[in-house]
This record gives sequence, C-alpha cells and structure tokens, in this order.
Amino acid sequence: MEPSDDVQDPLAQRRLRYRELLRNITMESDDTAGAKDTQRDDVLPVGFEDSQGDGATVEATFKQPPPETPETIRTRSWVLATFWIIAVFLGLPLWHATTTIYRAPLPMQEMQNWSEGKLCKTEFPLLVEVEAPSLPDAENLLKTVQHALDDANDFAAHKPHHLRLRLAAKGKSSDEEPKVEKDENVACLLRLLPDSQNGFHHNVQSSSRIVDIHYPPPSSSSQSTVNAGLAKFVAETLEVLFSQEQELIEHLLLPQTSNPGSLNALSSQSADEARDKKAHQPRPITADISRRMSRVVKYSANYHLTFSLFTATSLPASWDIESAISQYLTPLLSALSPISNFTISTQVQYYASISSSVTPAYDDELKSWVLKKEDLSSFINSAEWPLASISNDPNLNFILYIPHPSMSPLTIPSATHSNSFLLPQWGGVTILNLEEGASSLNHLSHPILKPALDTFATHLLALLGAPPHPASLPIRLDSLTRQRSAEVLVSASSTLGSLQRLVNALPSISIPSTVSESVKDSIRHLSLACEELRKGRFAKALEMGRIAQEEAEKAFFERTMVAQVYFPDEHKLAVYMPLLGPVSVPLVLGVIRELKRAIAEFKKTRAK
Amino acid sequence: MTSFSPRSLQWLPFSPKSLISRLFTTITLFLCLAGSTFADTYDENLLLQPLSGQFLLASFNFKSHGPIQSFNKQLFELFPRSLGQILQYTHTRELHLRFALGRWDSELWGAQPGDGQNAGGTGVELWAWVEAENDIEAEARWTSLNNALSGLFCASLNFIDSTRTIRPVMSFSPTGDFPHMNKTDLFLLHGTLPKEPVCTENLTPFLKLLPCKGKSGISTLLDGHKLFDASFQSMSIDVRPICSPINGHCDIEIQQNIDMVLDISRSLQRKDSPVPRPRDQHELVCDTTKSYASDEYCYPLDNSFDLPWSLSDLFGRSIAGSCPFAVKEPQTPHVCIAAPHDRQVHPTEGTEIFASQDGKQCFILRENQIFDIALPKQEPPTTPLRQEPLLYAERSFTGHGQEHGGVKTVLRNPSLKDSIEVVYLESLPWFMKPYLHTLNARLLPPPLDGDGDVISELYYRPALDRKRGTQLEAKLVIPANSVVIVTYDFEKAVLRYTEYPPDANRGFDVASAIITIPPHRRGSDRRNVPATSIRTTSLLLSLPTPDFSMPYNVIIFTSTIMALAFGSIINLLIRRFVAVDEVQRMDIKGKIMGLIGKVKKTKAE
Repeated sequence: MEPSDDVQDPLAQRRLRYRELLRNITMESDDTAGAKDTQRDDVLPVGFEDSQGDGATVEATFKQPPPETPETIRTRSWVLATFWIIAVFLGLPLWHATTTIYRAPLPMQEMQNWSEGKLCKTEFPLLVEVEAPSLPDAENLLKTVQHALDDANDFAAHKPHHLRLRLAAKGKSSDEEPKVEKDENVACLLRLLPDSQNGFHHNVQSSSRIVDIHYPPPSSSSQSTVNAGLAKFVAETLEVLFSQEQELIEHLLLPQTSNPGSLNALSSQSADEARDKKAHQPRPITADISRRMSRVVKYSANYHLTFSLFTATSLPASWDIESAISQYLTPLLSALSPISNFTISTQVQYYASISSSVTPAYDDELKSWVLKKEDLSSFINSAEWPLASISNDPNLNFILYIPHPSMSPLTIPSATHSNSFLLPQWGGVTILNLEEGASSLNHLSHPILKPALDTFATHLLALLGAPPHPASLPIRLDSLTRQRSAEVLVSASSTLGSLQRLVNALPSISIPSTVSESVKDSIRHLSLACEELRKGRFAKALEMGRIAQEEAEKAFFERTMVAQVYFPDEHKLAVYMPLLGPVSVPLVLGVIRELKRAIAEFKKTRAK
Repeated sequence: MTSFSPRSLQWLPFSPKSLISRLFTTITLFLCLAGSTFADTYDENLLLQPLSGQFLLASFNFKSHGPIQSFNKQLFELFPRSLGQILQYTHTRELHLRFALGRWDSELWGAQPGDGQNAGGTGVELWAWVEAENDIEAEARWTSLNNALSGLFCASLNFIDSTRTIRPVMSFSPTGDFPHMNKTDLFLLHGTLPKEPVCTENLTPFLKLLPCKGKSGISTLLDGHKLFDASFQSMSIDVRPICSPINGHCDIEIQQNIDMVLDISRSLQRKDSPVPRPRDQHELVCDTTKSYASDEYCYPLDNSFDLPWSLSDLFGRSIAGSCPFAVKEPQTPHVCIAAPHDRQVHPTEGTEIFASQDGKQCFILRENQIFDIALPKQEPPTTPLRQEPLLYAERSFTGHGQEHGGVKTVLRNPSLKDSIEVVYLESLPWFMKPYLHTLNARLLPPPLDGDGDVISELYYRPALDRKRGTQLEAKLVIPANSVVIVTYDFEKAVLRYTEYPPDANRGFDVASAIITIPPHRRGSDRRNVPATSIRTTSLLLSLPTPDFSMPYNVIIFTSTIMALAFGSIINLLIRRFVAVDEVQRMDIKGKIMGLIGKVKKTKAE
C-alpha cells in the first residue's frame, strides 16, 4: 500500500501520529537527563490535561476524548448505584441470613433477677398447733409466745422461717396426728402438760409430730410468773426445734444472694451485706453445716440405690439382702417416699481387690490392719469395681466390703464401732470383718447384715440431707422437704443465672427454641414454687421447684448448644476472599472514579 | 457333651432328646438348689483341640443360671449387674453379642466349634429380641441398648444406627423360652460393625462379667496379648431365658464363649523371642526327598512332627486352680482335650482324670492347685480329628471400576449323599445398591433335568439412602456334592463429602454374609443335625473417593469464574470506551524518571 493512501485512512493517520509522539517522548526524556535544572518541568506525564509546560506539543499529538453527554454520565452513575444497592440491600442481608446463628430470645433480665434472688423472697411459714387442755389462759399464753417469736424475727429480719401459733381445735383427740386441713400443713403439735416433778422440759416423740412440753403446775399465787416462764420456755423450745433447719436453709439461701455477683458490680455489696448479716448472729456451727451440706446429693425425685457385697475372695458367696432390705430399710424408704422414690438393685462381686494405692498397715496394739485416713477417699477401686448404673436417676452406692483373710480384721481410724465411712455425694462403705471359720463365712444371714444396713440407713439420711435433730422422724422429714425445696429453688435459679451469663459471654453459640421454652417453663414453675412456699404447702413447692430445676438444667445442658459453631477468622477470609475481592475491586474503583469526576465537575462549575 | 450344644437343641422344641436333656437340667438344678445355698449356678469348661497344620483350638465356655425373679427385681448374684441392668432398662429379652477377628479356615480346620453358633462375623455383631409395643419403641430401645453396651464393652456399638440394622426374617429364631410373652411384642433386631477392631479393651469388660474375673479357674488363661495374637478368635455373650417345661419355672442364662485358634509354632516362638525372626538353619527340617535338596538349599518341611507344647507355653501362664463356683457335686470336668488317641497328654501330677465319652480326656481342677497340660514332641505327627463342615462358603467381589461391581458367593456342599437347605443373609450398606434382577444362583454341575432354580424363597428389603441398608435373605437348596454360585451386581453410590471416614481410601467394610442351616434330619443316616451357621469373611468395598481439598478448590474456581463474569459485565457497563489516541495515559517511566530527577536535585542541593 502506498503511504499517500494511508494518509486518507484516519486509523493509519493516528498510527503515524502515535509513532511520532513516541519519538518525541524518548527525545524529551533524553533531554531531561542531560539538562536537569531547566528542563525538569517538562517531565510531566504526557497527555495530562493540566500539563502546562509543553502542553502545546501534547495537544498537537493527542486527542482529547469527546466530552461525555450528561446522559451517559447519568446512566453510568445509575448502573453503579444499582450494583451497590443490590449488594447492600440484597447481598448483605442474604449473606447475614445464611450465616447467622439462630438464637432464640431468652428473658435475660428475668433470668438474672432470679439468679440474684430478687424475684422470690423465700419464706417458710410454719404453723404450730398448741394444745393446752389444762391451761386456763392458753390464748393469752399463745399471744405472748407469738409476740416473743415475732420480736426475734424482727430482730433478724432476714430469717426465712415464720412461726405461727394456733390453738388446736377443741375436742380433737391429742393422740391423733395433725392432719392436712385445707392445704395447711401443721409443722408440729405442742402439747402443754403439767408436770409437778421435773419442772420445764420438753419431750419429742420419735414417730410423730407431737412435742410434749412439761411445765410445773401453776400454784394459784404465781399464775402470771408461771405463764411468763412457760411462754419463754415454749418460745425457746420452738427455737431449738427449728434452729438447725433454719440455719441450713439460711446457708442454702445465702450464696443465692451473693453468688451471681461474681460477674457484676453488685457482688461486693451483696457479699458485704451477707457478711453483715452473719455478724449479727452468732453461728458457731457454720462449718459443721457446710460440711454437712457438702455431702448431700443433688435433689432428684428418684434415686437408685445399689447395695453391693464386695469380697476379696470367693466367700461369702451369698447374702440375705432381699429380706434384710425389706426388714431394715423399707420402712425408712416408704417414710421418705413423699420426697423421693427409690429403686434398688443389689450385686455380689467376688475377687474384688481394693485399689493398689491403698495399703493398710498392721497395728500391733489394735491387732488389726488399719487404713489411713487419706486412703479412705481412694478406697473405691473404680477401675475394677462395676459400680456404674445405667438408670437416669442419681445412683447411691452402699458397699459392704469383706477383706481378704490375710488382711482381716481391717479397721478404719477413729471410727465408731460401725467400721464404716461415708463418701460425700456418692454413698457409704462398711467394712465387715468375718471371723475365720465362722458359719457366716459362706452365707451372710440377715442378723449379720443388720448393723451394716442400719449404718447404710444413717448414711442414706445424711446423703439426702436430713437434719440430725430433733428426734422426731416426721419433723425431720418435713424439715428435709423444706430444705430440699429451698435447694431446688436455689439450684434452678442459679442454673438460669449461669445460662444467662453463658449466653452473654459466648455470642457464637446457637440457642434453639427448645431452650427458650425450657427457660420460660422453668421460670413459670419457679414463681409457682415460690408462691406455694409462701402459702406453706411445701410438698407442692418441692414438686414445682423440681420441675423448674429439671427444665433449667435441660436448657443449660442442651446438646446442640454444647457444640458451638466456630470458624477461625483465617478460614473465613480464605473462603470469602476469592469471591469478594475480585468483585469488590471494580465496584469500589468505579465509585472512586465517579467521585473524582464529580469533584472535578464541581470545581469546574465553581471556577466558572 | 451336651454342654457344648444345648443351644442348638433348643431349635427342636419337641424332640424327645431335648425334652430329656431339659428334664435332666431341671433335675440337676433342683439338686443344686437343695444341696447348697446358691441361688445361681455356674459352670465353666475349656476344650482344647489340636487342629491340622499345628494349630490349637481353645474353646472357653462360661455359663451361669439364675432365677428370673431375682433378675427382674435387680437382685444380682452371679449374673453381672452391669449387663443385667442394661437388659432390664432396654427391655431386651434375649441378647447375642459377638466379637470376632480373623478367619476360620474351614478347609484346614473343619467345622467350627459349637456348630458355628458362637462365632460372629468379623468385627462386632449384635442381635437381640427386644420387647416393645410397636416398631418405633423397639427402635428406640435398640438404640439405647447399643449405646449402653458400647459403654460397657468399650466398643463403638453406638454406631449401629438404622443404616446398619436389619430385621432378619428367616435366619434367626429365638433360642430362649418365652412362655408368658406375646410373640408379636418381641422384635428381632440385628446390627453389625464389620470395621470394629476387637482388642484388649473389649476383653477386660468381658472378663469382668465372670464371677471369678480371671482370678481363678480357666479364665486365668485369658490374656489379651495371647488372645489377640491368635489366628482366629471370637468372643460371644448370649443371654436368654430358659423355662422348665414341667413346672414353668424360668431361669435367666448367660453364656460367655471364647474360641481361639492358636498357631502353636508362632506362640512358642513368641515365648523364646518377642521379636519375630526367621528360624535358624539348624532348626529347619528339610525335605530331603526333593530332587534339588542339598546342603545349601533347604525345602522346609512344615509338619514333620507334632510340636511339644504346654498351656503355660502357649498362654504364658497356667490355670490357677478352680473357680469355687464351678465346683459342684456330682463332679463335672473343667478342662477337656480332644487330642488324637495316639498323642500323649501329661497333665500336672495329682490331677484327677475324668473319663469322658467321644474320645476326650477331661480333668477336674482343684481349688488353689495350679494346673497345666503338657504334650511332648511326637514323631511322626498325629492326624488331628477333623469334622467335615456341612458347607463351605466363600464370597468375593467381581467387576472393576468405580461405578459398578458384583458379588459372587460360592457355596459348596461337600456331602456326597445329602442335599441341604440354607438361608443366605446379606446385610449391605446403603451405598452399595444391588440390582435384584441380576441376582442369579447357578448350580454346578448343571442339573440334568434343566431345573436350575435353587432359590426357593427370597426376602428383600431395599435400601433407602442414608436411612437403612439392604437386607437380602434367600433360601437355597444345595444338592449333594455340588456347588451353588450366587452372583449379583451392584452400583456404588457417591457419598457426601462429610460421609467419608478419615481413611476413605482404605475402603468400606461390608459385613459378612450369614449362612444358616436350619436344624434338620439328615436323609442318609436319619440323624438330627442341629442348627449351624457359617459366616463368610467381610469384604472391602472401594468407593469413588474425592480429593478432600475439593471444597476449597471448588470455592476458588467458582469464585474466579463469577469474578471474571462480574468484572467484565461491570466494566462494560461503567467504563467509557474511547479511541486509542484519546486514551489519557499514564507515563510510568516518565514519572519514575521525574522522581529520580527530584531526588538527585535535592541531593545536589
């Protein structure tokens, strides 16, 4: 082709110019290198709009693109805006919805309030009936006693117990058990009996709720003084009867007010308050109570009791456990049935050796092998003894251990004659030393088992948390009911509190709706239980509290919550970057360019 | 010995022999009850049987009975509480649990001990009759049974889910008695875990269930190191109720079995050096009859003599006296050896030898008296007793490729006179989808009359993806001295990414096929043949396995494509297109030079 033809062609013309331009640029830069000072302004990007120096040359070789129509600019801005709108209003919500973790709403504030004990002022109104057939002015006496009790209560305002006295209905036989009358439980019946010999003393009947109070019969002259003395004595007796339970319950409720503080600022304050309260009252047996409480098994409506005979040899081969249980233990279990039910299994395990870490030493004085005190805690050979239970109820183990003849008699230090020990929250162990060649060596008949089972019964009561006093079993069991209801209330509310803190602390765990339902259910039952307590229906309160506790625990131990979704940040970055990076770069750059253009335009219009 | 096959007799409830044996058991039971204060009775015995090829079969059998009333009240004596509670809690009325490892070489060793009733397929096998009102309840109880047993035996039984559970129709029938129970309330469920490696942690809980716990009696021989070194071993637990047909008095019976086949030469070598090493030259016995035999080359002769062994050599210890619960009047033997007549057997001195029928020598253990048996070296070797199995079975995969495959099972009836009826049961995982139309049973030699239909009954439950596996049960008749080849094709499913196990390229285990021969009366000699079962080996199925970095690759690829598409579209939309000379270009070189110039200038200043 001829060059002259080329000139006609606009494309070829441009190409020619471009070549020229390139030459210019190289020459210019060579010049720049030679003449540093004078030519430096020439070294500007070629084709820059605002280039001043050699602008003319550039203008000559470069064409400005034709000005854009406002129509195209508007379209471009719209396109960009649409992309951004879709990304922000559709993409982001979609992304959020597909990656978010479902968290059902929980009544957080309410949960916290429960755990801080704000919503339920635990009260235990106790109704005490008084029967005074031979006292003329019984009404008056009651008033005095009630007054004294109320005074004591006012002094220590936090006391959960509230004793209320009532005169027993006339004509009712005193031997009759106080009955439930219209939802009212009578905690105990006081019988005031004149006794000329012994002066003031009280006598608790072991199998009923009747407490006899003996007082010296009033002589006509000193009627008022006797009344005053009697009133004082009655008040003291009641105080003694319920003091232990009261302290236990206070002990239970105390952590409820001070514990949840561990995370909030209120803690120190409430702890201080608690300490103040403590200081007000002399409590010499707090240590004893906390020791006793630490043994107690968590409350459950059902317990499974396992009685195991572990023998180090193959003898004795069998035991009369069935008849022994029905004879020595069943009465107690049926008495406990309003609080908890029990299922029983028994087993015999032969060739059961104690843990190898436990080495009894022979004591020449006692003529027996003595276990060290620190050995007792590791006495149970959990690796080899099959003690696990499949049932869902808490399992309490009672072990009758028969040592190897070469290590018999085996005793434990500072023990009473029973040669047994209690393992807190787990069960009891009794070591039975059989004499060489005795007939019992082959088969344990139930007279031999009696002491062991009696010990197990005491262990069971201690594990369940029954107070050791007073002597009357019904009163003790009533008190156990109250104590257990306080316990489930505290445990349910503290579980709710823990759940609330857990949910707050871990934002990445999912909360299924079942948890929210359980929490609501738990709170509802908690308030029901609280109401029942206030009305003095303790058995009902215990039941409600138990449901509340179960629901709270169900919520807390929800399986899907345990496995929390966790993706490390690097992982997320690695997944998102390949898509979001390349997509967002043109979007962002587009916005920047548009902005630049807009600013330039704005400046231009202002300059005009 | 009735004690070795009482279960099989249960299959024939009305045969006179079973009635007599039951009567006998009841009478013995009564005697025992009258004689001692035990409510429960316990029996244990060990059968030693040399097998061809210098192997030794040791069968341990532990059995205890107790009244079902105290079992129901959870008052346990000899019956282990840990297992009893599980059975009660899950309403399991009859339980069979098997742990097995290795392959029983029936060509070499003959029929399996106990008619194969105590052996299971490789891994873990469990079947139980669960009492429930409906299917859903049965399923729930079965799940909790699996979970509980998994905890008790330290095995992954909890992985027996609905995909590994089948409900066999023809293969199993209850061996216990259920006189007071509605049969429709009992559900049979069967699950297998072919991949489970059976090991010491399963043996320890197994021993704990025994009253003597491996501290005395024959169970003292059971040591994990020896047991799991065996060429074949199987542990089984069977619990079932047995009722007396006379007074309706029911007992619960637990039977624990361990069968192991020891390679005598290897066990002896292990004793000398724990590290396996080749035999020294002077220890080798060479076959000098070969033409190439010389001083330099040795063609080793394997069975030139019977190796000398004793229990303490093979098991690392001897029996530490009897278990006191297994001592009773009249005396029953504890250890028996079924050696060939011409093989010498030397028990520990002072041991009472108990003459026994069918050529066994039996011994009674004494309390606190160590017991051992020694068999001296014997040349020429004796021929061990071998019982011809009723059936030989082999199963293998055919075909190639990642998409399809086939299964071929060869069943051979060695009997020259009697044809047998067998039930063939396959439990296949859901990702192995058989084509039922390809199921074919071929008879070899082909029948003369042309009727080659050997499958008389077929039960098939197809798989549902991720819900249940295939269950295939076929009743076949195998004529005398012939072979039946069962074949079918299947398709391999592609699994989801997370469904692959950590070692996906190893393959997936397919459970053993279970071949049951129902009890029958043999045609040729009119003898009753008890129920027998045979298991094939498990198979290793390789599925198409992806590269596991795949998800990230997929993310990268899709993202790149999407970014490309998006980038081009958005550029098309928001960029301005101009002519080349209208491009406002950046002169990078000039810029850099300018910068350098600036730096130089500032330097000069």
